[in-house]
Amino acid sequence: MRDRVLAILRCLIFVAFSLVLCAVVFQFAGYNAAQMLVAVVDGAFLRPGAMEQSLRWALPLFITAVGVGISFRAGYFNIGAQGQFYVGAIAAAFAAELLRGTPALIAVPLIFLAGIAGGALWALWPGLLKLRSGTDEVITTLMGNFLAGLLLVYVSAGPLKDPAGSGQQASSRPVDAAYRISDSLGLSPTIIGIAVVVGIAMWLLVNRTSFGVLASLAGRNGTMVRWQGAKLWQLGLSSFVISGALAGLAGTIELLGPNGRITSGFLPAHGFTAILIALVANLSVVGTAAVSIFFGGLASAALYLPIMAGLPAAAIDIINAAIALFITARSNLLDKLLRLGGRAQ
Amino acid sequence: MNDIVIAILRSGTPLVYVTLAGVIAQRAGVWNLGLEGLMIIGACATILGIMLTQSFVAAILIASLLCIAASVLLWFVIEKLKANPIIAGLGLTGLGIGGTALAVESIFGSQATVTAPFGVPRLGPAFGDYGVLSIFVAAMPFVVFAMWLLLRRSRFGLQLAASGEHPFAARGVGIEPARMRLVALAIGGVLCAIGGAELAGGSLQFFAQGMTAGRGFMAFAAVIFGASHPIGATLAAFFFAIAGALGIRAQLMFGDKVPHDLLQALPYLATIFGVWLSGKLGAANTAGAFGELKDQ
Amino acid sequence: MSSQSPPALACRDVSVRYGDVAALSGVSVEFAPGLIHAVVGQNGAGKTTFARVAAGLVRPTAGTVEIAGQAIRTGHVRDSRAAGVELVHQSFALPPSFTIVEAMEFGAAGRGGFYSRKGLADKWRAHLAGLDIQVDPSRRIRDLPVETQQSIEIARALITDAKVLILDEPTAVLSPAGIETLFARVRRLKERGVTVILILHKIREVLGIADTITVLRGGRRIEGPVPAADLGAERLAALIIGDAARASEDRDALVGKGRPLAEPTAGQPGLAGRSPVLSMTAVTTAPDSEGAPLHDVGLIVRPGEVVGIAGVEGNGQKTLVRAIANLAALSGGTIALDGQDVTARSLAARRGAGLRIIPFERNVEGLSLTSSLWENWSARELLEGPLLKPVHPSRIRALCDRSLKDWGVHYHSPAQRAGSLSGGNAQKVILAREVDSDARLIIAAQPTRGLDIGATAFVWDSLRAARDRGAAILLISSDLDELFDISDRVVVMLSGRIAGEFAAPYDIQSVGAAMTGAGHAATGA
Repeated sequence: MRDRVLAILRCLIFVAFSLVLCAVVFQFAGYNAAQMLVAVVDGAFLRPGAMEQSLRWALPLFITAVGVGISFRAGYFNIGAQGQFYVGAIAAAFAAELLRGTPALIAVPLIFLAGIAGGALWALWPGLLKLRSGTDEVITTLMGNFLAGLLLVYVSAGPLKDPAGSGQQASSRPVDAAYRISDSLGLSPTIIGIAVVVGIAMWLLVNRTSFGVLASLAGRNGTMVRWQGAKLWQLGLSSFVISGALAGLAGTIELLGPNGRITSGFLPAHGFTAILIALVANLSVVGTAAVSIFFGGLASAALYLPIMAGLPAAAIDIINAAIALFITARSNLLDKLLRLGGRAQ
Repeated sequence: MNDIVIAILRSGTPLVYVTLAGVIAQRAGVWNLGLEGLMIIGACATILGIMLTQSFVAAILIASLLCIAASVLLWFVIEKLKANPIIAGLGLTGLGIGGTALAVESIFGSQATVTAPFGVPRLGPAFGDYGVLSIFVAAMPFVVFAMWLLLRRSRFGLQLAASGEHPFAARGVGIEPARMRLVALAIGGVLCAIGGAELAGGSLQFFAQGMTAGRGFMAFAAVIFGASHPIGATLAAFFFAIAGALGIRAQLMFGDKVPHDLLQALPYLATIFGVWLSGKLGAANTAGAFGELKDQ
Repeated sequence: MSSQSPPALACRDVSVRYGDVAALSGVSVEFAPGLIHAVVGQNGAGKTTFARVAAGLVRPTAGTVEIAGQAIRTGHVRDSRAAGVELVHQSFALPPSFTIVEAMEFGAAGRGGFYSRKGLADKWRAHLAGLDIQVDPSRRIRDLPVETQQSIEIARALITDAKVLILDEPTAVLSPAGIETLFARVRRLKERGVTVILILHKIREVLGIADTITVLRGGRRIEGPVPAADLGAERLAALIIGDAARASEDRDALVGKGRPLAEPTAGQPGLAGRSPVLSMTAVTTAPDSEGAPLHDVGLIVRPGEVVGIAGVEGNGQKTLVRAIANLAALSGGTIALDGQDVTARSLAARRGAGLRIIPFERNVEGLSLTSSLWENWSARELLEGPLLKPVHPSRIRALCDRSLKDWGVHYHSPAQRAGSLSGGNAQKVILAREVDSDARLIIAAQPTRGLDIGATAFVWDSLRAARDRGAAILLISSDLDELFDISDRVVVMLSGRIAGEFAAPYDIQSVGAAMTGAGHAATGA
């Protein structure tokens, strides 16, 4: 129990440290750092409607981040959430196009299936390469992100191109209004329900099944689990595929929810933010839920800053980046400080 | 024909410099995913430096210093704070992209592109058609050769490789792997600054937000595809540049009928193939699982 | 070796602490020049730490180091090397992808600029030839056999005209013949005036080579350096182990005296008639990267029997275990457990049939050091049944708590990381998991490696107890004393084949001959 408290404490310290670093950067760039941070908090949570906006961003991020956490736990550094998210959205968009005209009751579940399968597929091949030939998954999933990005450009400017669209940014035809699961604000009971179901299911999977315990053992030491008679590819590939499927699910939600279509290069930071969330949450499902709201808030602040406060949205990128820079730090110095603090209590 | 070669040299040269930065980091045991960020810092600092000082030399010095500082920050985070190099590198990239955008916006009050009065010095008419190329293009073969000499034919190169592959062995003969990594990342910082300067000032003379557009990651791909050998990685970078140039050309000639996206995808597919192959062949691995620094 | 010359290496009041653990406490010792010195002690006695202090790899918390009468800065490898101290590590420290000449060059002293491949080869060929090392210098380290790797490491250490050469457990990876070659090399170095310090733990080897002996125990210097001639095996063993509170059979084991079995099970009536638990027939494995493949191996282990596998490391012992565990692909032959052919069945199925494994690498194959004790402990049972089987961590923790207490593991909580346990306690966790009442065949691979005497005795007792309950035990060890001590039969492996089988009383000469292939007719006893 104390270990868990310490883990949370250290995450908070690193996040706080990153924010201080950002404040310094802002100050140097000629902004009033305090004003900037206040504006961020305001845009994320305080202004009217901010909480809804933050949740709109937080829920898809939560779903992807839970998946990222599952693959990280199992020892696979799947940094391809972005690609899996894209391919999921693309597959769902194709399904929505094919099914155009069918009743929503039939079409929507099929679209979801397509999106989940698309994301899973985009995690399957790096997983297979890793488990069959030992190909480093960091590189394959990173490359997979770029490939999926190109695929998105191709699809939204090619097969799914919206003939009525402006030339500025290629985008697909909007999905049938009947299939939408939320308006463009992006918060609806359906989406909340999906996120809650995913959260509970994944918590049970991770904490209350032999799969969860064994996958986490395998993630820390695959050889040992192999000597115990486990089929590593079973644990590894399922973890990989689950993480891809969840990213694909998030892609589908973005398609059928707030976006209503896919656009080349849409939500380019989704996967990276999800990875950050998983890491800040120390890969725990409950933690992921809490941290998602924080990062959802930042995402909503990024939209608010330039319009309402006249401040550059890049500020949010910098906050995210600074957190990324420090969140995985595990310096002994900090441990010692934390332990001293623990003793003093 | 000349114009194709010029186009390839122009797009390939920045990539080569940044790739070399990746190679030296990789050999020292650091998977540097901050290349993209370092490159854009180099590009931005060069253009702003030229505007500020009216001197190219001063600008490239400023860019190098900033990139070295950013590299040292990365080194500090992964070496002293023991952060994961992959995530920290991605963080540095984000910091570079966001930071340059913030810098431009804070100085000029808008996100528009920033144009400098002049760029990297050109070779001049003495070189005929190739006179439009910058001095960094001409210097590139020598830099590649120098890097090959340094990494593959010098004791320093061996010590660097030992620090990456087997830090304990390095320490056993009195080499400090942490210090070698610092040197490698600092040299890489200068190379990234040059790569960024060439990108923004080689044929163009402006800086635009996010103008590196993934070139840093492509350079990282070239490092992997080139098996972190300076010459192999350079060839990989040029292979990627050629694929890109052909893609643009195909698009110009045939419009949207040709799936030029496939050509753009070639570097990434090639890298996946390359890393699959090196996994099969059991090439020297300089990083532990999750791209962590090896340490004992 | 005039007594006037200053000691080649002297440590004064050297202490090293790692966190709360004292690895060395106030060690003062002087080594005379031109001799072969042995530093002996059990695991954890501080031998390796001592070597690393002398080599500058570890900075002592207190104390000074003098080389040839000159005090050096501690904790600086370069200073130690400049003064002429070189250390050859137990697990060799050469980058595997380097060629031999590159491995020589990267640590060479002085200023090194650019080189050509040919120039480098020419530069080092003479050096290697001077040390009588005949090997193509362009070969890569990872492709070399361990003996050659060690020679290269010694050659690298001698580049700088070393005056003091420290070898940390150099015999651990060598065959008896390889040990003889090494010792011959060490004696030649002595003739050249090099002071050699050997870190050893086997008394037989120590007495065979050393001029003087220094004993460390619990991070303190207990004795020495005293002339080796003044110490007998018994006395030395007593010094190493310490207080007489230890059981005398432990000391016997260390000296290499087999103790008579309390009940000679080999002669148990009807043992030979019982149907075997493990029977391997003509097992041949496909070559892979992990070790020598098996050729036509036939092996039978009956219930209530301990069969020992002897052999120089790397002669297929690991492949044998992997084959039984279905972790190596068979190209021929059959494996049966309790009369049931399991050749085509998974490890999970074989474990279900009663196979238990105490693997070679305790910290890699046996435990996940960064996972909690309860996770490690429960892994085997979690794997029985479907993957989505519901589990209750709190209930597992309670069961684990009880089991680990029964096995006498010293720990705070089942949620503690396995890596925080000492070697002996970690091995007990593995025993708690693997040695249960359903165990039919227990494979114990190097089960006592790195353990102190007390933990070693515990492991042996546990295996004997399991045997007495009727389990079949397959013991793989590179320690002949251990094998002779508790095996009912000893089978020797050489190049992936069975090279001989012996019964007690064992004759070390003929077993040794079978291990090296010297006597091909060495079967039976």
